[in-house]
Amino acid sequence: MSHLRSLASVTAIGAIALIAASCEANRQALAPTIGAPRFHFFVFQCQPLKMTGGGRIDFPPGTADKNPPASHEYETFGAHVMSSGQTDANGVCLADKGALEWIDHRPEMRLNGSPLNLHATEIDFAELAVDTDCSDGAVHWGGKLRVQNNGQENLDFEVWDCDNGEPGAGHDGFAIRVNEPIDGIGDYAVMCPDPDLPPAEPSCTLTGGNRQFHPTH
Amino acid sequence: MKIESIRAAVRFAGLVLPFTWTSGSLAAQMRATAQASSYGVSVSTATVNQKSPSAVLPAGEMMATDQANAVTVDGLVSAQDAFAIVNGDLTDGSGAVSSATLGAVNILNGLITADGVVAMASSTVGSADAEGSSLSNLVVNGVSLSDPAPNTRVDLPGTGYVVLNEQIPTSGGITVNMIHVVLQQPVLDLLGGVTGYQTVGNIIVGSASSSM
Repeated sequence: MSHLRSLASVTAIGAIALIAASCEANRQALAPTIGAPRFHFFVFQCQPLKMTGGGRIDFPPGTADKNPPASHEYETFGAHVMSSGQTDANGVCLADKGALEWIDHRPEMRLNGSPLNLHATEIDFAELAVDTDCSDGAVHWGGKLRVQNNGQENLDFEVWDCDNGEPGAGHDGFAIRVNEPIDGIGDYAVMCPDPDLPPAEPSCTLTGGNRQFHPTH
Repeated sequence: MKIESIRAAVRFAGLVLPFTWTSGSLAAQMRATAQASSYGVSVSTATVNQKSPSAVLPAGEMMATDQANAVTVDGLVSAQDAFAIVNGDLTDGSGAVSSATLGAVNILNGLITADGVVAMASSTVGSADAEGSSLSNLVVNGVSLSDPAPNTRVDLPGTGYVVLNEQIPTSGGITVNMIHVVLQQPVLDLLGGVTGYQTVGNIIVGSASSSM
């Protein structure tokens, strides 16, 4: 009987420890700061990874359905990131290299007579998200970018990137937020925080293209 | 015995060598066909050969981009807000996505107009698609066309014909040309009768290619 009590005690202690550990964000990197509660992209790991490809998003609303072509409510992009899984002294998951070219074709986002064009100048971090429904892999990454329309530079940005199998259209996801106001535009983000919207909020569903994840550098 | 040994060696070489040659050449062929590129406008005639903007994914790289606020080929085509983007990895089977996007487009002095063109070609090992490609406010010879099906052909009397949303399967991939005008001239017999048509040029707006 005493053995059973000891076993129960140990089991209870273990369970409490597990619950406590799961409540803490298992994050060793820069944390996104979205105000609303999220169910995805909250738990991260630093490990070798690569995400490539590009595509199209029809935001708003950012679902798998294309907006009417005449609306011009869509965005296109090319983006990749690579990480060897190393961290810096602050525990930030470092990115080795990457690139982002983002075009927002919405008429209301035109700046200086052209579609809004964001170009990454450096990629600083990349962390593997392990709490999403993205079947092949998900990455939270970011760095700094330049607004090609007006030359505004060194704006922090972050991306929520999801490979949810093939084909990419209708399955993969992508979201971007610029963390500083863009001159002439203000706050800028293409994000879909609806937890019921596949594949993994806040990423928006691709309507074209593909995200390809590799768990190696 | 010595002759038999030589014969056996020859037979063995004859059996083995073709396989090694085949696998090596096949690997080389696979590498040779992997490519990703896109461009906004291409014009090729007897007097003009222009392609802009254009992005081609180089070997060992993962991104290529190009952009042009305006593209003009006098009398043939003008286009605004042209972007060409290619991203992917052709060396490890990751695949690639190519896109070409344009704003307002005017071909052959208003014979064909549109105010939004998206060409998108996506390929991975074993699959390729043109999802995400579209044409906005397309008008061909005065007729509005909404969301043309792949490889829709419209004749242009006195000019040739246009293929809309042209999708061409390639070895391991796809090429997408959203507006492909084939310029033609009649072929005449000795009496001046038209016996056929010959192609004298091509105008392509919004092209994306990707193959693994």
